[in-house]
Amino acid sequence: MPLDVIMPALGMAQDTGVIVTWFKKPGDAVTEGEALFEVETDKATMEVEAQGAGYLTDVAAAAGAAVPVGDVIARISETPEGTGPAGGAPAGAAETAAPGADTLPDGSQVIMPALGMAQDTGLIVAWHKEPGEAVAASDILFEVETDKSTMEVEAGHDGYVAALLAEAGEEAPVGAKIAVISADKPEAPVRRSVADGAAPKAPVPEPAAAPAPESDAAPDAAAAPRAVPAAPADPRGRVLASPKARRLAMERGLDLARLAEAGQPQPYHAKDLEALAALPEQRAPSATPAGATRHLTADVPVDGFDRFARWAAHEIGLTDREALLAGLAAASAAQGTMTVAVEAFGATRLYQASGVRLGDVGQADEGAIADLTVRDLRFTRLASVQLGAEDVPVLSVMAAGEGLTLTLECAAGHLSAPAALTLLSNFAGRMEQPLRHLL
Amino acid sequence: MREITLSQAVNEALAEEMRRDPATFIIGEDVAEAGTPFKVLSGLVEEFGTQRVIDTPIAEPGFVGLAVGAAMTGARPIVDLMFGDFIYLVMDQLCNQAAKQHYMSGGKLTVPMVLRTNIGATRRSAAQHSQSLQALVAHIPGLKVALPSSAYEAKGLMKTAIRDNNPVVIFEDKLMYQDKAPVPEEEFLIPFGEANVKRQGTDITLIGTSSMVQVAEKAAEMLEAEGISAEVIDPRTIVPLDEATLLDSVKQTSRAIVIDEGHQSYGVTAEIASRLNEKAFYHLDAPVLRMGAMDVPVPFSPALEDLTVPTPEAVVGNARKLCAGEMIHAA
Repeated sequence: MPLDVIMPALGMAQDTGVIVTWFKKPGDAVTEGEALFEVETDKATMEVEAQGAGYLTDVAAAAGAAVPVGDVIARISETPEGTGPAGGAPAGAAETAAPGADTLPDGSQVIMPALGMAQDTGLIVAWHKEPGEAVAASDILFEVETDKSTMEVEAGHDGYVAALLAEAGEEAPVGAKIAVISADKPEAPVRRSVADGAAPKAPVPEPAAAPAPESDAAPDAAAAPRAVPAAPADPRGRVLASPKARRLAMERGLDLARLAEAGQPQPYHAKDLEALAALPEQRAPSATPAGATRHLTADVPVDGFDRFARWAAHEIGLTDREALLAGLAAASAAQGTMTVAVEAFGATRLYQASGVRLGDVGQADEGAIADLTVRDLRFTRLASVQLGAEDVPVLSVMAAGEGLTLTLECAAGHLSAPAALTLLSNFAGRMEQPLRHLL
Repeated sequence: MREITLSQAVNEALAEEMRRDPATFIIGEDVAEAGTPFKVLSGLVEEFGTQRVIDTPIAEPGFVGLAVGAAMTGARPIVDLMFGDFIYLVMDQLCNQAAKQHYMSGGKLTVPMVLRTNIGATRRSAAQHSQSLQALVAHIPGLKVALPSSAYEAKGLMKTAIRDNNPVVIFEDKLMYQDKAPVPEEEFLIPFGEANVKRQGTDITLIGTSSMVQVAEKAAEMLEAEGISAEVIDPRTIVPLDEATLLDSVKQTSRAIVIDEGHQSYGVTAEIASRLNEKAFYHLDAPVLRMGAMDVPVPFSPALEDLTVPTPEAVVGNARKLCAGEMIHAA
């Protein structure tokens, strides 16, 4: 009695499998348990063993072919020549082996899923739907028990239960068709047992009918280039990295997700930042879309500036508070000498600040172009601003209780993300304790 | 500097403190005539007499309770508990009485008592005489816990323990009694809560207690041959714990393994590892690993017993994985 070789179901949601390679040629002798072919699904690649001894014949699917689950792809026969014309065409064999197949309503087939790697059959504990009943894809269709577990299985298709081909309490081989779900309400829903519909020998998987039309779409997807995951990437797309690597990446304005996109194996550690830093710069448009703005806010618990300004005025004669602000801002940018516009009480004054000695901050020439604006809003009732990018980066200083709220707004093209973070962090530190300027 | 055994170091510490303070006395099983099974107390009864080196019947709850009472009323008892495993017998005296008197009397009573006992497996003493139970008492507020890692620490910590006005449990490792180390002749004390950086390194911090300090040091030597620079730290007391030294080191190396001979689950290693996670999280480049004794009763079979305790080789294997960025215990 020849054995049918079917495309096994390796996953719950698998419609088709791609034959990667045949380990045997037609006519080769095979023994039970010998690897017969290799199959690839979207989840895994697996070797499939021969279920019996004999000769490989009637190979109906070549390497590279995507075959619907449950389809007969070859036979294991008693002679190298095969079983003759009757077995020559697997589809035909299916018709003869399953005399009732032609009476089944059209629709999507539901197969006995493989819940474990070493599972041959599954026991149907209960059907949750009756023949003829409407069913949604996410509805529980049946409950199946293996030697390891009991699981509820969803219908997977919207429609109507057109046929139930196994009864509760019966075992069905993995990959065997056990139900049909039709798009339209069936006129004559079918209900029968495995014994009614299957081939006489119980261990032989029930050969499926010719591929159902609705599964034709799947082969394209299966034939797409395979993506082999290099590492145990997190299914939620979260990048796996050590706390230190995350902190350093943040400090340097680097995005660990770029390492993942570049295919570097996870998890990432501090040393991987070198590889990240060495990745080519992303194209400007994608990194900083035109018109993108940066908006950063810092909270300073204590306003240290006022006291410092009084001290500076009293002790060293620096009476121009705006000049001090300009000096601290320029020093925070750490870009060398720059022109800082200070807006306070409705007036704008321009300063030339070296960023080093606060005493050296001087008035800028008439008509100089500012590199940076400091907007002193401490004496207003404003608590926060979101004004969008202006011609130059703008630092806004607002009162917040005993402390300050500082906001930096600029166009993405004005300052890189790390430069913006540095500027605001430094400025916040100096406004809280101006003596930090000396550090 | 002269080298003496851990046993001699403890003996010296006891003798010096008993000469210094007449309120001190030793009490326990076989402490006088026999000088304890480990011969640590040899010669003390000859010098101080049986009034201050007191042999008791085999009745741990009795003589520890007696010592707590004596401490509350002005004496400074040094209790000898022959095996650390017997601490189960004196839990009420130690944890419910000694640890709580100062608190419950509103500070009017103190219990300046030292409980000397031991830990350590691989002595073929089987499951009831091989446990390392420091975590049990370290869990109880009101008790200080010292774990000397050499003769030097054994002497310095013992003298501090005897002068402390709180109950102190000091665990010596049974296998280290004959180990020699340089110990100064002149008097010295080792303050509680000051960790000792035994070896400097940049790649990983190995925190060991008691004999596990030696395991860590051997592992560090082996790692050096592989190009991995390990820092070795001995906390010396786990209550109080010198968190600052541990955190400073881990922030530099960004990796750590904590090694202690108590059972791994719910143990000393878990406590220290957890503090490092909480307070140095953003500096960690790898998970902090615990290495304790296997969670089984200590086997009598020598072949099996040796498998239950952390070894330098096992530490090296874990350190290598952490430094290579391998996933440890990935879910």
